Amino acid sequence: MSVEELAEAGATEQFAFLDESSKREIRRALLTAVAVPGYQVPFASREMPVARGWGSGGLQITLAIIGAKDVLKVIDQGDDGGVNAVNLRRLIVSTTGVSWTTDVRDATIVQTRHRVPEEPMRADQILVLQVPVPEPLRGVERDMRELARMHAEADYSRMWVSLYEDLVRNGVITQTTGYPVLVNGRYVLATTPVPRWDVPHFDGSEVLFLFGAGREKRVYAIPPHTRAEPLTFEDVEFQVERTEGAACALCGAPEAYLIEVPGRQAWVCSDTDWCERNRAAPRAARSEAELTETARSQNRA
Amino acid sequence: MGYAAARGGIEAILAAEELVLRRRVGGSSAKLEIAQIMERLGSTVDRVVGEGGLWAPELAALALRQTEGDIIEAVQLLRSYRSTLPRVAHAVVVDMSELEILRRIVPAYRSPPGPQLLGKTLDYVGRILDTNDTYDTAASGEAGGTDRRGKKGRDAGRSAKTRGAGQMADRGADGAHIAVDRTADLAGVSPELRRSEQGPSGELDRHPGRLLGVLASMDLLVEHRQTDDPDPFDITTQPVRPGVPRSAVLSVMARAETGALVNLWYRNVLGPDGYVHEITLGEVRHGRVPVRVLHPHTERAVTIGTVRVSEVEAIEDLNGPDEERDRFDIGYGLCFGHNERKVIAMANLDIAVRRDKGASMLEQSVVMTTDGLDSSGFLEHLKLPHYVTFRSMVERKQAVRAATASVGSTRARETAATALAEKTGTAMAQGRFADGAGSAGQITAPVSGDCIDAQPRGPVLPLEVAK
Repeated sequence: MSVEELAEAGATEQFAFLDESSKREIRRALLTAVAVPGYQVPFASREMPVARGWGSGGLQITLAIIGAKDVLKVIDQGDDGGVNAVNLRRLIVSTTGVSWTTDVRDATIVQTRHRVPEEPMRADQILVLQVPVPEPLRGVERDMRELARMHAEADYSRMWVSLYEDLVRNGVITQTTGYPVLVNGRYVLATTPVPRWDVPHFDGSEVLFLFGAGREKRVYAIPPHTRAEPLTFEDVEFQVERTEGAACALCGAPEAYLIEVPGRQAWVCSDTDWCERNRAAPRAARSEAELTETARSQNRA
Repeated sequence: MGYAAARGGIEAILAAEELVLRRRVGGSSAKLEIAQIMERLGSTVDRVVGEGGLWAPELAALALRQTEGDIIEAVQLLRSYRSTLPRVAHAVVVDMSELEILRRIVPAYRSPPGPQLLGKTLDYVGRILDTNDTYDTAASGEAGGTDRRGKKGRDAGRSAKTRGAGQMADRGADGAHIAVDRTADLAGVSPELRRSEQGPSGELDRHPGRLLGVLASMDLLVEHRQTDDPDPFDITTQPVRPGVPRSAVLSVMARAETGALVNLWYRNVLGPDGYVHEITLGEVRHGRVPVRVLHPHTERAVTIGTVRVSEVEAIEDLNGPDEERDRFDIGYGLCFGHNERKVIAMANLDIAVRRDKGASMLEQSVVMTTDGLDSSGFLEHLKLPHYVTFRSMVERKQAVRAATASVGSTRARETAATALAEKTGTAMAQGRFADGAGSAGQITAPVSGDCIDAQPRGPVLPLEVAK
């Protein structure tokens, strides 16, 4: 390769923004992550055209694995229309030219912040989660050398003690989102922060979960059909967020992660795609052909 | 629109972009020229190339214009631009004795080998706001005292006709050098070092020897020379963690945010940490070094340009029980551009990290918390919507209330818990887990009302994608 060709290569716009060797490195890290479920794999982490802490890790994963034929969905808080979701999708679509959708069933790659879609995902899909804080033990230990030892030796005793103290002091385990799970009986992992409502999705799922922490330069994974058990005691039930009598004011669903509309004593689904489809038609009533047509028209838009 | 921008936000995003663009070209004044930014705002450009870790002053100026002078944002542009570029070659290791000095001071000696070259600096310019800004007209010699102060601070790289008569006559291309007595401190120094202070024809020596040489000849330095020659740690292709080689620590600091390094240094001097011991500056340099790469065909080193760098060698007075207390050690600082406060902090932190030998978390602070993009990006992410996580927090508050109501007050529980912890001897970090684990860094402030208000406004409209 001549110097001119090399310079030329730099000047051309890359498919999916990153140069090919960067993407290869990220994919190698992802393979390690899948091979060792729950282990935080260090990777170099490039600076992205979004600020660090704004999904740069998830973005790098998506850009490293996406192909021209993929169909993309991006959500933030469960919403396809949030500014951050729109912005990330705009970036991915404009650097790859892939088609995109809001219907989770049509997507091959879903990138998300703070939520897992309500609709169970399939084996031919990948869920990419943006991670702000990948270290589940940081609340009990700050020194990274000690944290590395604790994970290496599966020494999670202080985590258990802190859960116990929490329970004794407060009567319940007060961990809100990002609830720690034990993956494959080996590594404790931080669940991004998604609400506890979403945590059962991680256990024995059909879909591959890839987690990316760009600022902290780590990726990790929960592969399909892998155990992911929330840390709790035998006689203390793991609790998800649930409010007695609450149901979505729009679609009527009681069984979804609901967010409150302050001052109105009303609740709505955080997963807007789920909510819309519930309103439009009961899912079972929609034919395959109809779904495909919807996806096509959305992509055209 | 308020936080409704969180939904169907493409129009809002495009409008925000438009408003940013207007700042670049709108208003009554002319569009800022890149050449102007490079010439008139050199310090800022230098900060951006340094923190960006990319020697590209012109691109840095472009970035500064694009971001209305926001340094962190400009650094972000430069770094993310770099992410798109393939790595075509590695530079040949630079011998820093090749540094051609534009400025060099040696605070440790009155008359070190080689010149004390003051060069361009604000150090001794009165910090007086020049409300007249009459430098250009001062050339006629009618200016008074205030104007003289104004003149001295200016870059001397101007045409002779604009210089104040007589006043600038002793300046070289880079400004005045101070007169030095070169005999006083040179006893016991080797003849080579003594010769190095002047060039062959007696003009200013731009490649003076280092104070390090003097200290070595006095056998006052700890021996650190390595017999092997390991490749430096490339922080852009390998993640940095505590325990990395010194080259990684230095690389992190070379592109760290200036303010972060200064603060970390000061926090260790006056704040709670105290792991920094104040150094004496041996060399403070600003100058140019050549960059060479091996030619792909001939495999000979070819100079492809020069970069301007700031460099510091800091002398540390060893006093630890297991240290060589009859010798000094040296801390090193280097970064792109002219940024002395950064390299001084860097040199002092370099030696502090090495002396600490992992006893404290100083190294972790240096390698994990000083990157400007990391800290600013994460801080600003708090502006993103957090209503899913906040709903979960509200739910737990209610759960705690329900649980404590059924078995007595929280206070009674805490007393019991503390007593239990004392009895069983468990290390009990009061409230730490509840504050931190897993959700560390998540928003704790209330989410604004209209964030959620925007939810029930009907189905998501088809969203347009900017091509």
